[in-house]
Amino acid sequence: MHIIEINQLTKYYGKSRGIVDVSFNVEEGEIFGFIGPNGAGKSTTIRTLLALIYPTSGSAKIFGKDCIQYGPEIRREIGYLPSEVFYYDNMKVLDVLKYSASFYNKDCKERLYELADIMDLDLNRKVNDLSYGNKKKVGIVQGLLHSPKLIILDEPTSGLDPLMQQKFFDLIHEENKKGATILFSSHILNEVQKLCHRVAIIKEGKIIKVEDIETLKQSNYKKFRIDMTDTITDTYFDVEGVTNLSIHDQHVTFLFSGDINVIISQLSQKRLKNLIVEEPTLDEIFMHYYVKEA
Amino acid sequence: MNVYLQELKMYRKSLITWTIALVVLVVLILSMFPAIAKDAQLLNKLLSAFPEGIQKALGLTTLDLSTVLGFYSFVFIYVLLVGSIQAMNLGTSILSAEVRERTADFLLVKPINRSRIITYKLLAALTNIAITNVVYILAAKLMMDIVKKAPYDTKAFFLVTFTLLFLQLYFIAFGIAVSVFFKKIRTVLPISLAAVFGFYIIYLLNQTLHDAKLSYVTPFAYFEPAYIVSNVQYDVTYVAVAVGFFTVFTIVSYGIYTKKDIPAI
Repeated sequence: MHIIEINQLTKYYGKSRGIVDVSFNVEEGEIFGFIGPNGAGKSTTIRTLLALIYPTSGSAKIFGKDCIQYGPEIRREIGYLPSEVFYYDNMKVLDVLKYSASFYNKDCKERLYELADIMDLDLNRKVNDLSYGNKKKVGIVQGLLHSPKLIILDEPTSGLDPLMQQKFFDLIHEENKKGATILFSSHILNEVQKLCHRVAIIKEGKIIKVEDIETLKQSNYKKFRIDMTDTITDTYFDVEGVTNLSIHDQHVTFLFSGDINVIISQLSQKRLKNLIVEEPTLDEIFMHYYVKEA
Repeated sequence: MNVYLQELKMYRKSLITWTIALVVLVVLILSMFPAIAKDAQLLNKLLSAFPEGIQKALGLTTLDLSTVLGFYSFVFIYVLLVGSIQAMNLGTSILSAEVRERTADFLLVKPINRSRIITYKLLAALTNIAITNVVYILAAKLMMDIVKKAPYDTKAFFLVTFTLLFLQLYFIAFGIAVSVFFKKIRTVLPISLAAVFGFYIIYLLNQTLHDAKLSYVTPFAYFEPAYIVSNVQYDVTYVAVAVGFFTVFTIVSYGIYTKKDIPAI
């Protein structure tokens, strides 16, 4: 069964574009990545799924039911972690979490304490005394405490230190093993690559591609930044797999995809001052997609 | 039920503050009565020398300041103003707070539909108002009995005093209806002050204009203390108008809020 089924979903805010004709499915038990730069429409899609906003046209189903019409019923089995978390300032963390739990017709107490323990969250502090990262932890606990079947994460890792990020990813993996489906929105490709089975790529409100993460990894782009000792002609980098080449005197940048040894042996023939190999940003990947389409 | 209890908790401080304010106000005002009653003859004479327009604007033509009920009814408008601001604040804020405090993404993704949320919040607001009124009425009655020189018409006193409740109900409904039209309300107080004083100014103007149509516009004209004291009843037409507005405001609030896009943070 499709856990999420989005069908030509379109949302305009007045005249400004939110999303246009977005369609994709998320299958049961998968971790589905949803990537795109800021303002691409990730949050708009997610907020429509949660019936926080109403679609201009098109529809979306969750657990086979229309997400607007059956919203409250569907949301019993959804856990949501927004990109920015805000809670009632004057409440204690424990009270916020208990309030959250009170909406679900089940006993979430045990899970609540368990999660707070894993995330190292102090339950007795007031919300407005919490740092951003700690508020995020409250968000994680309140999103998971009712053991939802579908977990929707909207850029969840911002504000978490690396250790907490790892704990959080472990937690998500664990929920996934227990059978939860996960929709994970992010603009950090690396994160998505590590965690997800499939991804949808969105840009300017439109889905560009839905792809297996394995396929995406095969087209594994690296970004090279090199300072040479001598100036160099661009024919030197006429190697299969090099794209987006730019040469300014001794400074060279390009994207490379393919056998890493080929490019390394090519580079080893020259004296280098500096070499940086890094993950390309999402925009650079997108640029590549556009080049391919054009 | 959880939302209702949560809202009661959230507004507990404001409830206590406003209720104390109203009680202090009525105690202060009524404690001035003995001093004023002593010179009431003089005061009545002085006031009757005012131009007729001003007398009418102050509602002085029918009220006798030398009686405790007349005095209470004369100053009751200040209680009404404070109470109206309390209610308008509460109404305007109770739904819009979720967007202002950015907690909408928490509450509205819970398995609860928006009509329920309005219902619980409305009930919480009404509970607040009910508590305010019970405390206020007790304080006012007690104070009246302390400062009175002669017996007064208790029924008329209660009829006048209950108009606080009616006006507050009106402003709760009006406040909620106003709030659902805004995408985001940053501060509530300017809106409630503008609404309450706007209606009050229309009311004052109409004291001299006596335009029947205009009197339906402002809730302050619905329950005229002078009319209530002399007739010991409410004007049924205005009661119907008040109920009508309350109903319309409430229906509009439900209609719009359940179809509204919740803005992202």
